[in-house]
Amino acid sequence: MAKIIVVTSGKGGVGKTTSAAAIATGLALRGNKTVVIDFDVGLRNLDLIMGCERRVVYDLINVIQGEAGLNQAMIRDKRVDNLHILPASQTRDKDALTEEGVERVLGSLSEEFDYIICDSPAGIERGAQLAMHFADEAVVVTNPEVSSVRDSDRILGLLSSKTRRAEKNQEPIKEHLLITRYDPMRVDSGDMLNLQDIQEILAINLIGLIPESEAVLRASNQGVPVTHDQQSDAGQAYVDTVSRLLGEDVPLRFHEAQKKGFLSRMFGGGRR
Amino acid sequence: MSLNVDRASTAFTFKGGMLPMTVMELTSADPERVRAQLSSKLSQSPAFFQHTPVVLSVEKLDEPHLALERLCAVCRAHKLLPVAVRGGGDSIKQSAWALGLGWFPTQENRPQAVNSSSDDATAEAVLNEAPLSAASGGRIYRGTVRSGQQVSASEGDLVVIGAVNAGAEILAAGSVHVYGPLRGRALAGIHGDREAGIFCHELHGELLSVAGNYKRLEDIDPTLLGRAVQVRLLEDQLNIETLG
Ligand SMILES: Nc1ncnc2c1ncn2[C@@H]1O[C@H](COP(=O)(O)OP(=O)(O)OP(=O)(O)O)[C@@H](O)[C@H]1O
Ligand SMILES: [Mg+2]
Repeated sequence: MAKIIVVTSGKGGVGKTTSAAAIATGLALRGNKTVVIDFDVGLRNLDLIMGCERRVVYDLINVIQGEAGLNQAMIRDKRVDNLHILPASQTRDKDALTEEGVERVLGSLSEEFDYIICDSPAGIERGAQLAMHFADEAVVVTNPEVSSVRDSDRILGLLSSKTRRAEKNQEPIKEHLLITRYDPMRVDSGDMLNLQDIQEILAINLIGLIPESEAVLRASNQGVPVTHDQQSDAGQAYVDTVSRLLGEDVPLRFHEAQKKGFLSRMFGGGRR
Repeated sequence: MSLNVDRASTAFTFKGGMLPMTVMELTSADPERVRAQLSSKLSQSPAFFQHTPVVLSVEKLDEPHLALERLCAVCRAHKLLPVAVRGGGDSIKQSAWALGLGWFPTQENRPQAVNSSSDDATAEAVLNEAPLSAASGGRIYRGTVRSGQQVSASEGDLVVIGAVNAGAEILAAGSVHVYGPLRGRALAGIHGDREAGIFCHELHGELLSVAGNYKRLEDIDPTLLGRAVQVRLLEDQLNIETLG
């Protein structure tokens, strides 16, 4: 039985797709058979970040409507063996995504995979609710700003009331906080909320902190999930996050502004 | 900065509970009389005396001092385990604590205990009390009330044990109590009860209202923010004072 993890946020553009791709890659690199599903019908993005946009033939909606089999629609990742991508449709109507259809697809994937990562669309409407509906765990992606924290709070409310586990009165979804685009310098200067404030308001377990990093933009332009860039701070932070998801105890990094070293002071270089 | 602990690895969690509890309502402070009665009870219904936890109620007694230690010893000798004392003055409270027992204040408006019809002085001293509700007809909510959520008590008070986040709303016919930060909207006395109030550990509320009289965050004296406060209606004005 696979563990189903939804990556969600409420607010748009906070780094859900980046995180879904990075976490799925990290889990697969650790030997777990993993599939990452794009639930963002009409705005498909995951295939770009995973670098497989040229290999998309069928998508999630084709499978739900019985026009293609799962194995026809899933794309095998070029870099990591046990990683698969199930893309969203760019053209179809959102209403084609049905609860029964999603349940059926997740059910068959569950037999074959260890982890199913669902990349949620922004918002709190149907698409986002379907992406979270069958989840066992949720990674709530939050940026250090008031509106993002507020939207994450809203999503946490839905996770505890509008999901299958909530409706069936089962053990609640395990909720994890993933703070992304954290810039300690801007936190120190008061432009952004700090880690403690976010944790205090959302009151859930912190699973990771991803610093604001140029490596993310570079990675998404190249279509290589940032987890592969182990020179970068963001890549390392996602590896830490994956370790914690797997139950390991890893100290937090990248949350404090680094004092400029002697060389960078001499040459005026910044941290990347 | 450490990550917060995984729930699975916590050693315990605090849960509010209401357990049915036997109250031993003392009508005599004399340990010997209690002993005599317990002994005869024990022979009648031995099944009852199985290390049963009891609360010793001294509400009916007029004694400022009490041989509490001896009373407890008598109980234990008859397989009753005193866990707390109810009623009595400060000295009784102090001796209860010294003996490692809990202490409850006198129950003011407790429904009259069902007295056994017998007028005999040795009448039933053991009563089974119904669980006491902290907010009669009201509601206790445990956990964070999150943005977009609404929690209400259409009767009585609403007690929230946790935070009320911005964008959340809590309402009650009676008073609203928040044991945590109040960041969202709180409305007390929604059916017009002007005696209702709002009580919270940390005031950041977006909106406070008692019986329809409200204050917005903007109207609140900034020095009160973050403080423990009570909010009441005084002559049609919403009055906010710090607590403690
Ligand atoms: N840690 C980071 N550092 C710098 N840029 C980042 C970081 N994480 C994400 N971004 C950038 O933020 C933008 C939005 O990221 P992404 O598409 O992953 O967000 P999303 O939440 O999936 O958006 P949507 O709600 O539209 O689906 C992208 O340009 C991405 O490169
Ligand atoms: Mg996205």
